[in-house]
Amino acid sequence: MFKKILIANRGEIALRVLSACKELGVRTVAVYSEADRHSLHVRFADEAICIGPPRSSESYLNIPQVISAAEIANVDAIHPGYGFLSENANFAEVCEASHITFIGPTPDVIRMMGEKDRARSEMAAAGLPVIPGSDGIVPDEESAKKVAAEVGLPLMIKAAEGGGGRGMRMVRTKKELIPAFQTARAEAEQAFGSPNVYMEKLIERPRHIEFQVLGDRHGNVIHLGERECSLQRRHQKLLEESPSPIMDAALRERMGKKVVEALKKVGYSSAGTVEFLRDASGDIYFIEMNARIQVEHPVTEMVTGVDLVKSQIRMAAGERLKDVVGPVEFRGHAIECRINAEDPDTFTPSPGRITAFRVPGGPGIRVDTAAYADAVVPPYYDSLVAKLIAYGRDRAEATARMQGALDGFVIEGIKTTIPLHKRILAEPHFVKGEFDTYFLERMHAAQVQALSA
Amino acid sequence: MAKKSKAAASTGAANVDLGEVERVLSFMEKHGLDELEYDHQGLHIRLKKAGGHPGAHAGASYPRAHGQEPPAAPAPAVSASPASNPPVAEPQPTPAVAENLHTVKSPIVGTFYSAPSPDAAPFVSVGARVEVGQVLCIIEAMKLMNEIESDVAGEVVQILVENGHPVEYGASLFGIRPAGKKK
Repeated sequence: MFKKILIANRGEIALRVLSACKELGVRTVAVYSEADRHSLHVRFADEAICIGPPRSSESYLNIPQVISAAEIANVDAIHPGYGFLSENANFAEVCEASHITFIGPTPDVIRMMGEKDRARSEMAAAGLPVIPGSDGIVPDEESAKKVAAEVGLPLMIKAAEGGGGRGMRMVRTKKELIPAFQTARAEAEQAFGSPNVYMEKLIERPRHIEFQVLGDRHGNVIHLGERECSLQRRHQKLLEESPSPIMDAALRERMGKKVVEALKKVGYSSAGTVEFLRDASGDIYFIEMNARIQVEHPVTEMVTGVDLVKSQIRMAAGERLKDVVGPVEFRGHAIECRINAEDPDTFTPSPGRITAFRVPGGPGIRVDTAAYADAVVPPYYDSLVAKLIAYGRDRAEATARMQGALDGFVIEGIKTTIPLHKRILAEPHFVKGEFDTYFLERMHAAQVQALSA
Repeated sequence: MAKKSKAAASTGAANVDLGEVERVLSFMEKHGLDELEYDHQGLHIRLKKAGGHPGAHAGASYPRAHGQEPPAAPAPAVSASPASNPPVAEPQPTPAVAENLHTVKSPIVGTFYSAPSPDAAPFVSVGARVEVGQVLCIIEAMKLMNEIESDVAGEVVQILVENGHPVEYGASLFGIRPAGKKK
């Protein structure tokens, strides 16, 4: 087991990794920007090193600073959390070159999954169903027209270096195709440094289903069931749950087996999530893979009893999957609400000082947060303030517990999305488990209409 | 729920027209305002909502956490563990620079070296006069030696880090009395 781990992240995930390290008896080193000087992860870590000014590019994303901190603190390993450098193959390589274990997949696999078109073809070759689409990058307008003719409309143009819902354009009519293709390439170049795009048929009213996986460094991989993350706004997840209301044990086993086989073929290790879209007829298609621990990992932890972060650390230290995670059983239902510092109606960010903070408790309630009364939510990073997770014997109990917990969660001084989550949970279609990724859009439109009536 | 400031009484407004206040309050509600300051014919009112949150109860008071300063970077960790993790001096918060001096701070994380090589003389000593752009020290990061230059001309009064010690971003390295300033 490692003696010392540097946590290359901030906020709630830094605290999450910190607690896993503490449980394993590993010393922790926090790195922080000047804006995070009073953060809890800095306060609770064994050692803390300031690595830069507030801007991410000059601190949390600054590889030389992070590695330099790791060197002077003499750490054995770095946990990158999610976001920031967690899927930066370059960073993983620098860690290796500095003889520091990167807690995550190998650089090659990170790179493969980061190039979204390549991930798509590799997973297709490995046996996963993919959305009908282009065979890799679409290099020019002629090819774009060809693919559109084969695949049909409507379709999506996606940035190869994008992912996470960014760099995507919808094309509904033939006329839109070439302008959208050109704009998508320009935007991709601007945002991700590469104009390369690929194309996929648009799945109407899709449901977002993702499978959690864990792999050790000895070639073993397992899955830990699925999560449904259809409640999204502009491709950013707001609420997640496990299991998915439309998944049954047989389908889970079938899909899970395919996922495990595909990942074994590519040599996947550590934690990861394989994302699918399910269309109205029930067909499931691979869209992308996230080669890291994810924000919504707690719902899987609640229904399986497996500590995903501790497992990541133990397997990065060389332990075998069967020793770290026994046979996986699924019990009960878990829901997570991402409570963001945003206006619940307009989603305008609401950074600032939290003046009151009271966290709900009781049976089945878990809160992952780095916020506290008098803390300042800085404007430089994402707006996540807290993850509220409710677990119950079944979906009804989890929902009821979540509603109570939302009522009892007091955050003042900033605006939060708590009112929005309450509205979602009260929606009849949510209660019935009937939704797709446009659910929130429709709910918002209905609300706007009701107000102007 | 709005809190009325005591300003109304102190400005000597003879009669506070509560009807007026209520109009202002409903104006606030209607337009979703959190704060409103009203000044009219000697009457000055400032109304501020106790909490912007629908969940907040009027008049409820929540214990306000003390604004504690976090502890300074933790005390040196001398690890008693075997050779794989030899004890390493953690970057210490450097002593404060005297008020009339200019602080040269570290722009990077790394190890501070006062001289260009182990057996060479230090770049500067206390009392040395330096120019803008003059190299004061080296900070080594990832096997690269970074020369740290002075951003002012003046006299080196304080050297705040010991040779070979780690420093973090923003650590105070030197206190320099800028040329032309009185002692």
